Amino acid sequence: MTLNHDDWGKVARMMSKRSLWMVHFCTGCGAMEMPPVMTSRYDMERFGMHAMATPRQADVFLVTGYLAVKTLKRVVQVYEQMRDPKYVIGFGSCTINGGMYWDSYNTIKDLSKYIPVDVYIAGCMPRPEAIIDSFLKLMDMIDKGEAIGWKKYHKYYDQYKRNQRMAYSYRLDEVEDIKEDDAK
Amino acid sequence: MMAKELFPEAQELRKGRIRIETTKDKVTEIVKKLKENGYEHFVMLSCVDWIKDGKFELVYHMWSYEYREHVMISIKVDRDGDSMVTLRDLFPQIETYEREIHEMFGVNFVGNPRLGEFILEGWPHMPPMRKDFDTEKFVNEIYYKIPEVKEE
Repeated sequence: MTLNHDDWGKVARMMSKRSLWMVHFCTGCGAMEMPPVMTSRYDMERFGMHAMATPRQADVFLVTGYLAVKTLKRVVQVYEQMRDPKYVIGFGSCTINGGMYWDSYNTIKDLSKYIPVDVYIAGCMPRPEAIIDSFLKLMDMIDKGEAIGWKKYHKYYDQYKRNQRMAYSYRLDEVEDIKEDDAK
Repeated sequence: MMAKELFPEAQELRKGRIRIETTKDKVTEIVKKLKENGYEHFVMLSCVDWIKDGKFELVYHMWSYEYREHVMISIKVDRDGDSMVTLRDLFPQIETYEREIHEMFGVNFVGNPRLGEFILEGWPHMPPMRKDFDTEKFVNEIYYKIPEVKEE
C-alpha cells in the first residue's frame, strides 16, 4: 500500500491533534479559569495538552477574555510568532462581541476581525468543562481538517492587517498613512 | 498635630474623615504642612469632572498612621486649559497620578516632565474620561465600523 500526500496529511493531523501545546499567555479574567483546567482537578494533560512559555513551540492560542488595543498588539505579535499550523480559541463573551465591555473605548469587540478564530467558547466565565469541551471540539476539527484559521490568515492577510491598523490608530480613515509609515 | 487643629476651616465628614476645600495656589503649602505633622502617607490623587460647573475637582488624599485619619484636600480647576502645579517634589508617587489624570482628563501639571503617553498608545481623540466624551458614539463609530474579513 502506498500513501499519497493527502493521506500523510491525515496521519499528521491525527498525530498533532493529540499533542497540542498552548501558549502560556493569558489576558483578562479568563486566566483565572485556566489553573483548574491545567492542574489535577480537570487535568488537560490527559489530552496531550500543556502550557508552553514560548510561542515558537506552541500550537494553540487561548485568548482568555477582553483585549485592550494595547494587548491586541501583543496578541498579534505572539500569534505571528507561532509556527503553522496554529489554532486560536476565543474564550468567553468578550472575544465574541465585547461582552460586558461592549461600550468601552479601549477594548476591541470582535476578535475574529483581527485574527482568525477557530473555536469560540460562550459564557462569562466559561466553566472548565466548557474549556475541555472546546479542546475536544478543536481536536475533532483538526482531525477533519476544518481548523483552517491559520490558512485564512495567510490568504486574507491584507484585510486582517487593515483591521489591526484601524484599531491601533483608533481611526478608520487614516489607514493609508500608517501603511506608509510601516514601509519606512 | 491633627488636621483639625492645623486647619480650623476643615470639615469633619465623620470620625477620621476630614475634608479641606481650598484653592489651587494653597495646595502645596497645605500638603507640605500635613506631611510635616504626621500625615506621611499620600494615598492618591483623584479627579472628578463637574461638567455643569465647567470645573475639574482634584482631590488629594492623605493618611496618618498615627491619628488614623484620612484627609481629603479638594480644589477646583477650570475644565478648559487650566493648569495645576505638580507636587512631585513632596511625594514622588504623585507623578504617576498626575500622568494618569493628564491622559484621562487633560489637566496640565506644570513642572511634571513625564506628561506623555501613559496607558493609552497613540490615542488621537479627546481624553476619554471627560464627560463630554461620548463613549457609546465613539465605539459605534470605530469598533463596530471596522469591517469583517470577507472570504471569497
